[in-house]
Amino acid sequence: MLFNSIDFAIFLPIVFVVYWFVTSKNLKLQNLFIVAASYLFYGWWDWRFLSLIFFSTMVDYLVGLGLLKEENQIKRKILLLISVLVNLGFLGFFKYYNFFLENFIKVFSFLGTEIKANSLHIILPVGISFYTFQTMSYSIDVYKRKMEPTKDFIAFAAFVSFFPQLVAGPIERATNLLPQFYKKRAFDYSKAVQGMRQILWGLFKKIVIADNCAVYANLIFNQSASYSGSTLVLGALFFAFQIYGDFSGYSDIAIGTSRLFGFELMKNFNFPYFSRDIAEFWRRWHISLSTWFRDYLYIPLGGNRGGTLIKVRNTFIIFIVSGFWHGANWTFIVWGMLNALYFLPLLLTNKNRKNMEIVAKGKLLPGIKDLLFIFLTFIQVLFGWIFFRANNISHAISYISKILSHSLFTIPKFAGMDKALPIIILVIIFILIEWFGREGECAISRIVQNWYRPIRWSFYSFIIFLIGMFMPTVESPFIYFQF
Amino acid sequence: MKKFIITTTIFLIYSFVFYVVLLYFWGQYASPRFKPNFVYKIGSGGHTYTRLSEVKIFGEVDILFLGSSHAYRGFDTRIFLNNGLKTFNLGSSSQTPIQTKVLLDRYLDRLKPKLVIYEVYPEIFNLDGVESSLDVISNDKNDIQSLKMAFKVNNMKVYNAFIYGFIHDLFGLNKSYYEPVIKGDDKYVSGGFVERKIDFYQPKKLEKREIIFKDYQLAAFSEIIKTLKKQKIPLILVYAPIPKSNYNNYTNNNYFDSIMNRYATYFNFNEIISLNDSLHFYDYHHLNQKGVEKFNKKLIEILRENNAIIFESLCKK
Repeated sequence: MLFNSIDFAIFLPIVFVVYWFVTSKNLKLQNLFIVAASYLFYGWWDWRFLSLIFFSTMVDYLVGLGLLKEENQIKRKILLLISVLVNLGFLGFFKYYNFFLENFIKVFSFLGTEIKANSLHIILPVGISFYTFQTMSYSIDVYKRKMEPTKDFIAFAAFVSFFPQLVAGPIERATNLLPQFYKKRAFDYSKAVQGMRQILWGLFKKIVIADNCAVYANLIFNQSASYSGSTLVLGALFFAFQIYGDFSGYSDIAIGTSRLFGFELMKNFNFPYFSRDIAEFWRRWHISLSTWFRDYLYIPLGGNRGGTLIKVRNTFIIFIVSGFWHGANWTFIVWGMLNALYFLPLLLTNKNRKNMEIVAKGKLLPGIKDLLFIFLTFIQVLFGWIFFRANNISHAISYISKILSHSLFTIPKFAGMDKALPIIILVIIFILIEWFGREGECAISRIVQNWYRPIRWSFYSFIIFLIGMFMPTVESPFIYFQF
Repeated sequence: MKKFIITTTIFLIYSFVFYVVLLYFWGQYASPRFKPNFVYKIGSGGHTYTRLSEVKIFGEVDILFLGSSHAYRGFDTRIFLNNGLKTFNLGSSSQTPIQTKVLLDRYLDRLKPKLVIYEVYPEIFNLDGVESSLDVISNDKNDIQSLKMAFKVNNMKVYNAFIYGFIHDLFGLNKSYYEPVIKGDDKYVSGGFVERKIDFYQPKKLEKREIIFKDYQLAAFSEIIKTLKKQKIPLILVYAPIPKSNYNNYTNNNYFDSIMNRYATYFNFNEIISLNDSLHFYDYHHLNQKGVEKFNKKLIEILRENNAIIFESLCKK
């Protein structure tokens, strides 16, 4: 079920009413209802893959119980290994099987040995990269004794399958989300209102910004050979706002929806395009994934400790794995490596934690220096997005080569360009709202906080109107569903 | 909780009113590029406005024609009148079964046909119905049927057009509109037929394709059949001729015929009469007037042969 569908618009109020009016007196019943609603939400897409979620839930629950009883370190490691192997096994089979097979065939063919193997027609279960990481974090935290394993299977199943963040995150930590299923949730008016606001802003980002930018990004990327360098830059810009609107929009809807049910999820995006260096960008982009890799991969590998070589190795590992997590394609690996290359100079000169606060805090506008660094960081990110979006490496290289040609200095031109003008204006308005609201948890919350109710409501209504007026007529799924 | 529900409800009402008012002014004054989901064209192609105005005062008929542009450009009401039959053509551009059902529910009781001839073109079963919904909403009254249609089609353009059309109906803003009888190459003929200035088609190579049915269009089609059966009105399904160069590009014509045969008496005129692609058509799927005359003559002949009882009873009247 998509957040931007009529199905979800019907599903959400029904679940909300049953949750607060029918099941609220019994915590177990309420958690059970969350599981049922979440399985329905997921099964709406393809019920067959519910078995994967259930199996993953069972394995990690039992591993958790096993770790509770087991004191023998070797046996504890074996239990953890079971959890990791099962989760990564699912991920490996569904997401990477064909990639590895095709690449093995290519390597052997290069070495002169022909291998006959057929790739499988595997459907990638939506959200598998998200919930497998979430359940793994539980097993690892229990193994490291950072938290007590749960004996409450229903609460654990609700934690794994919680529908607002099941298919595209934020990838929650068991230490944050699981305890919220143990205690009775009380309805909080201001949190619910904040949740509604965040849902509205998320829908705007997804439907108005991302889906409309997608039309032009797809058009330009799919026919990149026939466009000028300047048009290709515009195509990359459209993609930059498509992916940001799409994914941060999803996260906003997920966080807002959770608030309606009394849950607090972690922040996943924190105005990343206003970052002044790439380290700051990665502290603000897909925070739940970046911190997951930091805590469960980078730090166990040694993190910043050790010599320069260790730092370089760890940085490359974390960025390459992060790239590969996004998809079974060399483009994602190169994108990861590119970000490692951006990041390393900052790390090695100890400047990676220079910009911790939001830019121009307490000020209306940024200084020239900040603006310059924001621009340079955005250019780096934009360059990376070309690899991320390209169909393959050669596509990305030809795209970049065309940008770097003399046609970069021509006026951008593509079919339907006049129709893109309103979208460009909307993107500019969107950037301004994000800028003025950057110190708040959600951009519009910050902006409207001191407005009178009629003005505030008119503003929300205008956003709804823009959604109605600019919503593409074909429902488009979220980009991160494919990851 | 109570406060939240009350506030949310009031906000939704406020927001709805805001949307309706803004939509009206935005629809009136915004530049077309700033209203991609706003399509409201009164007097659009195919004389739908005139047809749906005339149907309200036309009175009872012998035969009612339903279908897409192949119907209103294919069944010449004058030819049938010359054969003693009063007919009305309720076809409209890209009309899919969803809109046919709406129009039938609105006008069947008024027209009281003795026979319904439903033109079935394979493409209409695979359309989403947006274009035709916009046509019907812009050119006819808007009621609960239109709202149901909008929900079925489930497209923002249709919802916006419905709201805008409803405001127009409410304040009688379309009353002064007059649609000319002749628009470009089209001339409206009383009874719903649109005659096209004679033109010829130069056949082009078309891609091979398959006839596909959308489930919800087939469901609406079944409802139409049920409605007519319930009212005991005989129904004939007709696949109007299209150029051979187009017809032969469908890879599963037999499949389409078999499906149509399941629903009612069905005639595929592409297999019945032989027309010339250049001389009898003006584009890749519409008959020109010469083609219409040949097709209608054959249809009347076939009706006489195959539906002697119904046809004679109609003619006696």
